[in-house]
Amino acid sequence: MLPLLPAALWCALLLALQVASARAMGRRPVHAPAAGSAAAGVRYAFTGALLPWAKESVREHLPTYAAGILYHLGLGAAFARVFLPWRSLSVLALAGSLAGLTLLLKRILVPGSRALSRPDDFASNALATAFAALAGLAGLAWVPGAAAILPWACAALLVYIPLGKLRHCVFFFLSRRRLGAFLGRRGTWPPQE
Amino acid sequence: MDATLDIQAGLDAFRAKLQEAGAVGLDACVRCGLCAGSCHYHRADPVPENVPAHKLALVADVFRRHFTPLGRLGGGRRLDEEMARLWLDAVYGRCSMCGRCSVNCTVGINLPAAFRAARAALTAMGLTPRDLQAVVDLALATGNNMAVTKEDWVDTVAWLEEELQAETGDPEARIPMDRKGAKILFTVNPREPKFFPLSLQASAKVFWAAGEDWTVASEGWDLTNYGLFNCNDREAGTITQALVDAMERLGCETLVVGECGHGFASARWEGPEWLGGTFPFKVRSFLEVMDEYVREGRIRLDPSFHKTPVTLHDPCNLVRHGGVREPQRRVLRQAVQDFREMAPCGTENYCCGGGGGQLAMAAYKERRMRSGSVKAGQIRATGAKVVVAPCHNCIDQLSELNKEYKLDVKIKSVAEIVADAILTPVPQGEA
Repeated sequence: MLPLLPAALWCALLLALQVASARAMGRRPVHAPAAGSAAAGVRYAFTGALLPWAKESVREHLPTYAAGILYHLGLGAAFARVFLPWRSLSVLALAGSLAGLTLLLKRILVPGSRALSRPDDFASNALATAFAALAGLAGLAWVPGAAAILPWACAALLVYIPLGKLRHCVFFFLSRRRLGAFLGRRGTWPPQE
Repeated sequence: MDATLDIQAGLDAFRAKLQEAGAVGLDACVRCGLCAGSCHYHRADPVPENVPAHKLALVADVFRRHFTPLGRLGGGRRLDEEMARLWLDAVYGRCSMCGRCSVNCTVGINLPAAFRAARAALTAMGLTPRDLQAVVDLALATGNNMAVTKEDWVDTVAWLEEELQAETGDPEARIPMDRKGAKILFTVNPREPKFFPLSLQASAKVFWAAGEDWTVASEGWDLTNYGLFNCNDREAGTITQALVDAMERLGCETLVVGECGHGFASARWEGPEWLGGTFPFKVRSFLEVMDEYVREGRIRLDPSFHKTPVTLHDPCNLVRHGGVREPQRRVLRQAVQDFREMAPCGTENYCCGGGGGQLAMAAYKERRMRSGSVKAGQIRATGAKVVVAPCHNCIDQLSELNKEYKLDVKIKSVAEIVADAILTPVPQGEA
């Protein structure tokens, strides 16, 4: 557990700085009377809007969406596995790592995805996938020593999070809340139909 | 491109426009690429440059470099001449600001907010496409974006009033001009007096049939505001101020915006922000007003007048960004026999390709027409013979698509459909 605390502090500090940078861009008071409810828009943004049938982009890419959900669940389980030696967490982490691997392969092999990608996309995915795989293998005892290096892998991931797109672990919530409030005020979300 | 760009002015404008609300999205994108299919540019021409996430990454690079601690250590990309050229191509040349990407974004990023900040920066650096800026300049100089003179406007309204009287058989039918204390001030797109006077006449007929207390203004009558597109809030605010002045001068209760997506967004949503205060009057779309007339029984419609299949286009600024989705549908279901939705429709409908100022930018016409192939396909799939578009910019684009893709449809406004279907009211005293 030795490397985790400084890595977590580094991660939290840099993420906080980045959030502060976004906040430093300023806020403008809103004057136009609302047509709907910002709060209802935010609620919808974090509930109904996340359902697979709510968005065309997901409906048309259900396997990718499913892999993404499994990947994130697996990463959550992998973080938990660092502290809790539960076999179920390892199984979920391993499944998540396989999902992450498919997404990495898609990024490498599908021309459209590859063209959109930057080095950070490959690095972020590879690092997170490796961490989830290690958490899976550590719990299932397939690889001797995996459990011992798991905290170090976790620390490496924590160090990298604020440096690349993994920072979306924080900004996802901030951005989605803002979009929900925007479309909620305008009466677009929740959908009227 | 001018090598002496005022980069600092661009960055200042970028910061002022982006704000925290837009900035949080720039650190949220994971470049999953699922937004690609949501963009009509990418649907029509699937190149990486048309993926919304790619366009966003260009904006995020500059944000990171100039406005974050990591950027000061070398991350991101500097805003320079090369980046400005990339921005110009991405946010003016490949985006109509329709926002379809944002409602389809798996993360939930308001992409148009970032693109507007980039447009604002380009405008501050003097890089707005000249023909788009010319429309703004014309509105600022003449009070409307087509330089219609006051004399021509007043004469056109007087002529249309005579036409309205002839059409209704009512010599008392009026298109009131500058009537102080009227309940409604009605604003129009300059395309109406200039090219589509029957559209204005149709709106007037609806007001007449409803017995509305309304007026148009001799000054401050243009609902359009291309400041929404060049993202210069000062210019946009000045254009909006003309409407506010007309409302104050005439003492009307409600500003009713004629059928125009960006005009509605400008007056209803952005205008108070540009001018820094809540308006002391209501702003409504004419669609909401017509819907109210129908629901309250103030006008009665006979759908048998429209027997051919009719479909409805959803202007992005009115529906996805404006929240006005149902009124036009309720009205059309009363006014036509065979109403067919496009697939997808409502907030998920595709942009026609003419939004975001695209109609004014000749340099990107080829892309605009190509991106419009998505809308053309939607229209064709409905089998409709009439396409209703509650937006004159959309009507222009749809008319071009009609020719380009040989759709063989008629393009009409909601008011034109409603006016034709109105059961003429029985004059008072004869009931």
